[in-house]
Amino acid sequence: MRKLLFVGLSVLVVLCLSVVYADMTLTNAGGESITFTDEELGTIITSGEKPFEGVTITITVNEGGPKGGISGPLYEWRDVWEKLTGAKLNIVEIPYAEHYPKVMTDLLTGTGQYDGFMIGSDWMGELVAGEYIVPIDKYMKDPRFPKWDPESLPPSIRTLYTWGDTWYGPLNDSDGQVLYYRKDILNNPDYRAKFKEKYGYEYNVPPKTWNELYDISEFFNGWDWNNDGEPDSGIVMHLKVGAQGMYHYASLSAPFCIMPGEKVDKYHNVYWFDPEDMKPLINSEGHVKALEFQLKLAKTGPDAQVAWSLGEAWDYFLRGKAVFTFSWGDVGSLVQDEARSKIKGKMGASILPGSLEVYDRSQGKFVTFETPNVWGNTTGGSWHGVISALSKNPEAVYHLLAFHATNKISLWNVQRGWTGVDPGAKFHFLPPYGTASLDDYVANGFNPDDAQEYLKAYYDNFFAPNIAPYLRIPGGNEYWVALDRHLSEAYTGQASAKEALDRVARDWEDITNRYGREEQLKVYQESIGYKAE
Amino acid sequence: MGLKSGRIKYPFILPSMIWVLAFTIFPLIYSFGLSFFRVRLGKPATFIGLNNFIRILSDYKLGNSLRVTLMYVAITVSIQLVLGILIALLFHQEIKGKSIFRALLILPIFCTPIAVGYLGLTIFYEEGGPLNSILMSLFGWKVPWLSNPFWAWVAVLLLDIWQWTPFCFLVILAGLQSLPEEIYDAAYIDSSSEWEIFRKITFPMVQPVVVIVLLLRLIESFKIFDVIYSLTGGGPGTATEVYSLYTYRTGLKFFDFGYASALGYVLLAMVMVVVNLFFRRVRQVYE
Amino acid sequence: MGVVRKKSKSLAVVRYVLALLVVAWAVFLIYWGVVTSLKPPAETFTISGISVPVLQFRPTLENWKTELSTRESRFTLTNSVIVAVFATVMAMLLGVPAGYALARFQFRRMKNRDLTVWFLSQRVLPPVVVVIPFFLLMRTLKLLDTQLALILINATFTLPFAVVISRQAFQELPVELEEAAAVDGCSDFTAFLRIAFPLAAPTLVAVAAICVAFTWNEFLFALSLTSLKAKTFPVYLAGAEDTRGVQFWFMATRAMLALGPPTVLALLIQRYIVRGLTFGAVKG
Repeated sequence: MRKLLFVGLSVLVVLCLSVVYADMTLTNAGGESITFTDEELGTIITSGEKPFEGVTITITVNEGGPKGGISGPLYEWRDVWEKLTGAKLNIVEIPYAEHYPKVMTDLLTGTGQYDGFMIGSDWMGELVAGEYIVPIDKYMKDPRFPKWDPESLPPSIRTLYTWGDTWYGPLNDSDGQVLYYRKDILNNPDYRAKFKEKYGYEYNVPPKTWNELYDISEFFNGWDWNNDGEPDSGIVMHLKVGAQGMYHYASLSAPFCIMPGEKVDKYHNVYWFDPEDMKPLINSEGHVKALEFQLKLAKTGPDAQVAWSLGEAWDYFLRGKAVFTFSWGDVGSLVQDEARSKIKGKMGASILPGSLEVYDRSQGKFVTFETPNVWGNTTGGSWHGVISALSKNPEAVYHLLAFHATNKISLWNVQRGWTGVDPGAKFHFLPPYGTASLDDYVANGFNPDDAQEYLKAYYDNFFAPNIAPYLRIPGGNEYWVALDRHLSEAYTGQASAKEALDRVARDWEDITNRYGREEQLKVYQESIGYKAE
Repeated sequence: MGLKSGRIKYPFILPSMIWVLAFTIFPLIYSFGLSFFRVRLGKPATFIGLNNFIRILSDYKLGNSLRVTLMYVAITVSIQLVLGILIALLFHQEIKGKSIFRALLILPIFCTPIAVGYLGLTIFYEEGGPLNSILMSLFGWKVPWLSNPFWAWVAVLLLDIWQWTPFCFLVILAGLQSLPEEIYDAAYIDSSSEWEIFRKITFPMVQPVVVIVLLLRLIESFKIFDVIYSLTGGGPGTATEVYSLYTYRTGLKFFDFGYASALGYVLLAMVMVVVNLFFRRVRQVYE
Repeated sequence: MGVVRKKSKSLAVVRYVLALLVVAWAVFLIYWGVVTSLKPPAETFTISGISVPVLQFRPTLENWKTELSTRESRFTLTNSVIVAVFATVMAMLLGVPAGYALARFQFRRMKNRDLTVWFLSQRVLPPVVVVIPFFLLMRTLKLLDTQLALILINATFTLPFAVVISRQAFQELPVELEEAAAVDGCSDFTAFLRIAFPLAAPTLVAVAAICVAFTWNEFLFALSLTSLKAKTFPVYLAGAEDTRGVQFWFMATRAMLALGPPTVLALLIQRYIVRGLTFGAVKG
């Protein structure tokens, strides 16, 4: 009898345990399943209590549709998340150019229509300074919520998700631009030989400096190197005004105009403004040279690119029409999509090239480096969710955002090009740099060589010793827009590099004055880690 | 004219007068007030006197959008008028299926402008769009429609001309058709050339209608926003950033309400100047 | 009928060809929108020339199905209908009586002519001048992102059509009918409602159609004053340009949906268009 009881009890215990520790398999809208442990999902889900029953939360995101960048994952996991928590999720898509003004209108007028926003990181200064969004630290250790791993982020990305030591949003997208190139074409011995004949040296694959890249791009531009019967291009960029074209300039120009140094001071590690008086550096000699270089480089690509937004430029590269492009992580995963791409398995990727000539503001002249001045970048939006201070249901919003930040969903997103979610965390990278498995990437449609190139390039970029500073002070969006518009003037021949950048500087001074120089300077110094002597 | 008692005279007209006062005059006064302040949402407004207007004088971007706007208005309106007259003359005679043609020509006028702009994006698409693909097969070259500042400007003009020439045509045709037939008989007896008939008889008689069309098109052209917003976004660079777009961005994208109000007033002043040139003519119409 | 006498047959042929060209040019953009909306996305720019459906590619209704089954597009279409209808009703309720008063009674302080021009002068106002005060006003009234705000504003901007054209429609009616009714003991109001209004109805319907079309096409106010609940279809249309560029196939479908209603209305009221759009200055 006692024995029976014992057996009965142990069966019961095992049953209970298996209930408590049972893995949970969730299926998304596309019919794909992921199995989670209870710890990963948090007790709100595993208890089955549905504390958010009857709650509706509204999240804004860049327009993109159910299969679009950044917006897509929200749709993909909406049903399952709603079922698990009882909450309703309302997704509001807003065109990129209108997103920031709409969010700010809601916050500034105190309307509070939205509970959360999938923001670009350059809006952070404004949002934090105005206390329009709430810190999430208190939720992060709470076992009720889905678990994600803040320690897995490189410092460069972590900076974008935090202000000081305070966290404002769980991991989503990690943006930075890397160089993509056609491994097969650059390694073609015939082409290499012809290049050497013409330029007198053998190029590196990938190129180490922008000047070397220019030579290669010029060499390949204007003739049919892929045998499709049409002339092809050296490089392709997306330079359309109002469509994130200015980010190309930001990541290309860093090595021309930032002097590396031990710490952030007046002359070192600064890019945007002089940290002592907020004077724009954007029209300094280093910048002008960088833009002049970019204008020259653009000539080795299709003319129409000055009116192209991301999709059009990417498609051009995906169709195999250009040797180079430099852009976000989306490209690497889109290359794997054979419906759009002809170059799967032929892709190379690396951190962006450097420059041997760098403008040193302390000496007022260009100095020559022995090894290229290379800078990693976090150019772009690194689009991620934050919680509106006006929301009545911040916990439900955090729950949603944290759910999307769990290692498994995050990795799932990264492995699919259309999600617009790009790799940045350690668990996205392959050993020895990270913990992801190559088999897993291959199982998700990646060519193994491409996956290794791609993930290594992003690891190198985000963990680079030098990371170019990011602009996210109040008015950040306005500064970016001014840069964008005047760069476009230069790209389309309406202004020279110097004229365009002078105009940017002038606009920036206006913006700074309007926001208040002293306040701006203080936030700027904070945002780049400058400490006055 | 008129009924005697007129008891309903004021109840009938006052509501709409009050409405207009409330919804146009009041906002105008309000924005006039705003133009003397630095206004940022969420912060108290500061009185800065004429500073916004002084800023206008030194705003180099404004010069650009003024130039773009005035050039655009002048060119688009004159082309529309000339084409409108020509097409009206063409249709002012017996043509089979005229009523169907006329009906089809009405369509562009009522097309949603923002949709027209976006359709323009496909028409002017540089790699494989219909215009370039036709140009390529005929002449072997293509036009950088949206990537080149000049051509982007041409593209905007083309869309606007597409949409509003039919309006000029319709109205001028109506004007032509209201002319008495007899006046031509004498002319033909004199056996003048067609051009002379047009110059000496037709045009002078239809000229009042042309003036009305001109005025209406001038007023509407200053308002242009939708087509440019959707087709070029003011780009490339600032090549097609018209005044309305610049004002809109200043006010509702960067929330610089005071300055945007001042900008609005300058635009209003320009339009008023244009309208005043025609004022007497307009009053005569409503005698 | 023809003003210019027939000179020769070949000239007539030239004219006919010219007329055909003009018409082809006028409908090309719309044609292209229809064609693009019927293409599979991947073929948007791969088919050469003018892309004749069936001959050059196999048309599909996929884009239309997707677009019409999207919650957002149905929702914004409904908003557009509501705003257009109620703004028009408002403009007509205010404008038709005012037009009648201007047609039938003599105003002393300000002459009828000047009052008419005063109403007209609103059309001169560039919308961008008042969009900021409207924005701030609607914020104070807590009307941001409501259909009511758009109804009020569109009624204001279409009011000149209603006032000026109905004035003219009433002026063209013989006043004797109403005078006779007054002798029979009808009040002015009854005379207006029973006699003048029905007689002017065809023109008034045409005016209403123009108001609906203008409100439907309005973009700037809808863009500035709505964000979520009151978003109209043109604003939704602008969303076809996403972060990665324009989705031409959806965009074309939405563009066709946008310009369908106003163009159909225009065809229905053809006879009144010239008069309507020139505020009665030219009679078509």
